Formats: sequence, C-alpha cells, structure tokens
Amino acid sequence: MMPSIRIALMSIKLVMRTKVALFFTFFFPLIFLFVYAGIFAHGNPEEVVYMFGPVVTLNIMSSGFFGLGLQSVMQRERGSLRRYRLAPIGPGSMVFSSLLANYLLELPTIALLVFCAMVFFHMPLKINPLTLLVLVTVGTFAFAGFGLTIASVANTMQEAQVYNNVVWFALLFLSGVTVPLPMLPDWIQRFAAFLPATYLVSSFQAIMMKGQSLFEHKAEMLVLLISGTFGLLFAWKLFRWEKEEKISPRAKLVSLTFIVPFLVMGAWMNEYGNLKATWKETYSLMSHAPLAEGQHAAPADSVLLNGFENPEESEKLLKTWQVSTDVNAPGRSLGELEVISPGATGTGHALRFKGHVEVAPGSDRGNVIVRYPFTLPTGAPSWRGIQFEVRGDSRLFQVKITPADPALPAPTLTFIPDSQWQSVRLPAAWLATPNPGKSTLVLEFRADGPPGNFQLDIDEIRFY
Amino acid sequence: MSNDAHSAVVRVEGLRKHYGDLEALRGITFEIQAGEVFGLLGPNGAGKTTTIEILEGLRRPDGGMVTVCGMDPGREPTALKERIGAQLQATVLPDKIRVEEALALYASFYLQSASLEMLLERFGLAEKRRAFFEKLSGGQKQRLALALAMVNNPELVLLDEPTVGLDAQLRRDIYALIERFREERRTTLLTTHYIEEAERLCDRVAILDHGQVIALGTPRELVLRSGHGTRLEVSLAQPVAPDRLKQLDAVVDCREVDGKYFLHAQPTAVAVAALVRFLEAEGNALLDLHIAPPTLEDVFVEMTGRRMEN
Repeated sequence: MMPSIRIALMSIKLVMRTKVALFFTFFFPLIFLFVYAGIFAHGNPEEVVYMFGPVVTLNIMSSGFFGLGLQSVMQRERGSLRRYRLAPIGPGSMVFSSLLANYLLELPTIALLVFCAMVFFHMPLKINPLTLLVLVTVGTFAFAGFGLTIASVANTMQEAQVYNNVVWFALLFLSGVTVPLPMLPDWIQRFAAFLPATYLVSSFQAIMMKGQSLFEHKAEMLVLLISGTFGLLFAWKLFRWEKEEKISPRAKLVSLTFIVPFLVMGAWMNEYGNLKATWKETYSLMSHAPLAEGQHAAPADSVLLNGFENPEESEKLLKTWQVSTDVNAPGRSLGELEVISPGATGTGHALRFKGHVEVAPGSDRGNVIVRYPFTLPTGAPSWRGIQFEVRGDSRLFQVKITPADPALPAPTLTFIPDSQWQSVRLPAAWLATPNPGKSTLVLEFRADGPPGNFQLDIDEIRFY
Repeated sequence: MSNDAHSAVVRVEGLRKHYGDLEALRGITFEIQAGEVFGLLGPNGAGKTTTIEILEGLRRPDGGMVTVCGMDPGREPTALKERIGAQLQATVLPDKIRVEEALALYASFYLQSASLEMLLERFGLAEKRRAFFEKLSGGQKQRLALALAMVNNPELVLLDEPTVGLDAQLRRDIYALIERFREERRTTLLTTHYIEEAERLCDRVAILDHGQVIALGTPRELVLRSGHGTRLEVSLAQPVAPDRLKQLDAVVDCREVDGKYFLHAQPTAVAVAALVRFLEAEGNALLDLHIAPPTLEDVFVEMTGRRMEN
C-alpha cells in the first residue's frame, strides 16, 4: 500500500510541475464549464444546474480515458515502468497508484468547477457536498476502470487511441453529456441506457434538479462500482511493464466482460426503467421555474401581456404574431396560428402554433418561427422575466426574448411541453432596469429539430 | 568455475531462452562467486541482456536452472529484489523528477535502504540533487542509474552495459565507481561489449556469442589460452585494403581504425615478415609498427573468426 501512495503522490507532484498536464488537469475542465454554462445554458442559473452534471461527467471521463488510460500506455511505451519493475513492487501497486493519483487530482478540479459555477454563473449548489463527493468518487472509480481496461488491452499507443476514441465519442454524444437525452431520437435514448456515462449524468441531474437522494440511484451507483472493479481487476491481471509484452486476442475478448454490468443494467432499464419519461421530466425542470401545485393563477405582482381572451380580435392578433419558416435553413416547412378554446386552466382561449418542419433534400435543417413584437408597458416595476403557459406534443421548442438594445443579451430557453398545461419562465434580468428601451421587444417561439408535425399551445403571457 | 558451489551468489546452468524462432540463449552455464566482479562480454545480440534480465526476474527462461542469492528469480521475485540492485541498459525516469526525489522514492520501496546523502556524495550527484532528470547530462543520468541500483545496499549488483554511449572520460568515472564495488567485496555482474571495460573491471569474464558461452575465465587466462597470438598495430605511408593484409601469412584478422591497421597475428614473426615483403612488393612504406599482447577481442576473433563489433 505504501509504495502505491508514494508513487501516487510523486505523480501528482509531477503533474504540478508540467505545464501541459496542469492545463489539462485544472484549466481545460473550466473551458467546458464556461461553454456549457455560458453558451448551452445561456448563463441561466437553473440551466447551469442541469448542465453541471454533464460538465462533471465529461471531466471525470476525460481524466479516466486520457489522464489515466493513455498515460499508462505512454509510460509503458516510453519505458519508464521498467525501472519500477526492478523494485520489489507488483502490478497491483502500480494500478492502485494510478487510480489514487487520478482521484486525488480529480477532487480539486471538481471543487474548482463548483466554485466557478457558483461565482460566475450563480449556480445554486442543489446537492449535498457529501453526495457530490460520493458521485465523483464512484464516477472516477468507474471511468478509471474504463481507461485502465483500454490501456491494458491496447498493445500500442495508436491502438489505445483508436479504442479510446470509439468509446469516448459514443459516450460523449449518446449519453447526455453533450446533447440532453430527451432531444435525441428514441432508439438513441434506448441505446443510452447501456452507457455508463448516462448513469452518472442522469443521477447528477435527478439529484440536482429534482432533489432526489443518492439512495434513489443506488442501482446506477452499484453498476458503476461493479464495472470499475472489473476494470481494475483486468488492469491488474493484464498489467504489462514493457512495450514488447503483447496481449493475446483471447485476453482482449475476456476483457470485454467489462461491459457486462452495463448490458444487464441497460436491458433492465429499457424494460422497467421508464427512462424516457424520467429524463424528460428532469429536462423540463430546467426550463420551467417550478410553481407550487395549483398555482397556475398569475402571481399577484405580474402583468398580463397577452391572454388571447378576445376571440373577435383574433384576425388582428394573428397579424401581430408573424410566422416565418426556414430562417437560415433551406427547408420547406409550414406554420400557422389559430385561436383555440378553451385555454389554459381558468382561461377561455389560447393561441395554437402548429405546422410541419420539413427539410430540403440534402439538408438536415428546417424551422418554423413565430414572433410577437410588443412594447414594454410603462411603469414597469422590477420584473424579472416573462412567464407563460404552454402545452404541446413533446417536441423540443425554443423561446427567446430580444430586447430593443442589441447590446443587451437575448435570453433563450429550450423546453419540451407535453399535453398538460405547464408554466414556463424565461428570465430576463434587464427587464428590472429602469426603461430598458421604449422600442419594440420581440418574443419568439421556434420549432425546429427533426422533420415532422408540431403543435404548441400558448396562453397567459405575463411579466413576472 | 569455482569448486565451492556453496559460495556462488549466482548459479546459471543450461539456461535457454527463445523469442519466437530466435534462440537467444542456447544452454549457457556459469557461476558468480561472492565478492566477484563478473563480466558477460559479447557483441550486440549475443544474449547478454537476456541473461541479466532473467537473473533480475524480468524475463522467464524457457529452460535451465537459475539461482540468485539462493532464490529462483521467477518464483521469489519480490524477496530477491530486496537483495539485488540493478541498472538497466537505458534508465528512463519522469522528466520532472528531481535527483534526490528519485533516490528517496526508490529507496522507500525497500525494507532497508542506504543513506541517500552517502549515495549523492559517492555518485557525484550532491550538486545536482535538486536538478530535474531531464536536465542531467548523459553521464549524470548514468550515475543516477547506478545510485538507484544501490539504494537498497544490495548484496549483488547487476549492471547492463553501464557505460554504453558515454565518452571516454565519463566511462572512466563509471569504472572508478564499479571498482569501488570490488573494494567493498560486493558481488557484481556487468554486461559489456567494451574489451577495455571487461579487462579492467572484471575478475572473471564469460564471452558470449549467439547465445552460447564460448570462453570463461579470468581475462589473463583467456588471453593466455588464445594461443599466444599478438596484435600488430601498423601505420603505412599509403592506404591499403584491410582484406589484402588479412590474406598475408599468419594474419588471422585485420581491421582499420582511423588510418591505423590492427592485425591479429600468430605466429608473430611470420606475420611481420609477410607484411614487410608485401609492402616492398607494393612500393608502400612502414611508418610505425607496434607489437602488443593479445586482448580479449583477439580471443573473440580467434574463436569466432569475427570482430566483436560485428
């Protein structure tokens, strides 16, 4: 045990002395945070909470695959493991020291991510620090197992990079780390249930967004722990000190049993897990400021902007709301508006925005947008944003409010409304400033994504 | 070979090793006595490194018997490593590790270790104790590698080509360090393809070629056994192809180094006479002739018909 600790501490010291290693260990993850929180989450603290799990998972994954896995192969190819081999220490010490160094470097990185998310993006830390520590520990353990397994079955650096890239990109794009799972097609969501990163991301998001306890994710944690243990056992049994030592194809096949826990878990989750609904619920929480049950009535200090309650004026109303199709996209989409009855709970009417997204041959993009230009009511108190009621067909929509002053940000929010009326809040901090601009503001709803029909009902648009 | 098998620190008997179709060791046998500096001498590919790595427990033999400090390196590697110190042909350490850190780290792996201050002083690294490995010169890196081999104050030191790639001055520095091992009566095995190194440092030498021990004994015994041949070092007025000199009577071998011709001759008088006749016939002149006693290289040439660097 002691040699492992000494080697691990020395490895950490060496990272601290190497500028490139230092950059990739501590500063590169911050770039991900700023991209996710600043761009994907539009700086909206509620969305940053949702994105924090993917950022942490991405960091844990990259340290497992690249910080640990590739480093192990590189050390072997460089010949620096040979000198250790002359000392009275075994493969177990080497594997454990790698794991320990990786974990000890992970903790300050996560602390840095938490600090920056809270300071720069005002992210509320909706997770118990101990729960966060357990998630990070389990995740680091699991992905260390992944990285070390790849390192132990790859005979060369090139081979390790090929294996790494195949697994890395699958996890990156298909497990909710970059693209939220509810935005992915059904078959990918089913496939995602077989990927370990999915468990870490969805556990983070469920705990942080829905306030669930870690205990509710014990199955996910167990699978990650089992796979991490498998990985470490393979790394130990297949450990090679020298680049001349090659691993047999049979041993490579045996190491594939590493994925068995994920196959079992994926199959079980697809059969009994109600995954899609769970992921969608978590995702929708990001865009919806949660209201207390039965609180669909407008807040006392809110001001109604549009309630669609004068059907005789519907012709005028439909002229005010402007539909555009395929903006900056060569599609052949269609969109239309109508006033429907009844509206949201307690109202008589609502606006229906419906149509069809169709892409042009050779293109994968199309969209339908409806814009509502309006003037800010006078005497605005310290409004914090716009609230509205929506229901839809479980497609992804986007809402944006563009201020008159182009120097101000245009808050954007994505949401997936289902068939029940739900409240959505779009924060716009500049509404609180006196006279943010007397000119016209524009509220915009957009349907894009995969081709197909869409329908979005909108009601009770208010300043809150 | 010693008659007192009980004092042998290393015993190798019929050692065999294959790498695929290549037979790297073909049943070699030798013993190393306590306190002895023993050399494995041979050209590249002779099997020296394979032998030393089997003794270190880094490779498993395909046949034969090996005992090091009374232990089987394949069965008791951890216990054995506590008692031996080894230096690899190329020691690679992390670029950013400091000299003193490397020594302290490796010393911490052993149950007992030597004084790090003593090692720094003895191996001339005291001034470089805070230097990163990447900043060390080739000689300093090699001295650090030797110091690392000594961190556990070993009974047996195994050195694989300790001076390869170093210039003459640095080689002499390393020789001085190894001579200290002999003074301390520390059993030492070194591999080398430098004749001078083996002759100067080793009490006994095994000459390896193509995985076989072709000669074993003290350097003096081997030279005497070689048939009293001599080395003629010749300088000529005009250059001549070494192959033509090799065809002269009693000349076993000839090579040219920096314009000088080194002839391995037996008997010497016949070779000198043939050389003089040849130069007269060619209209060439003899500028210098030096007759030297044979070396281990001459022994190797005599036994294999090849020079060691080939």
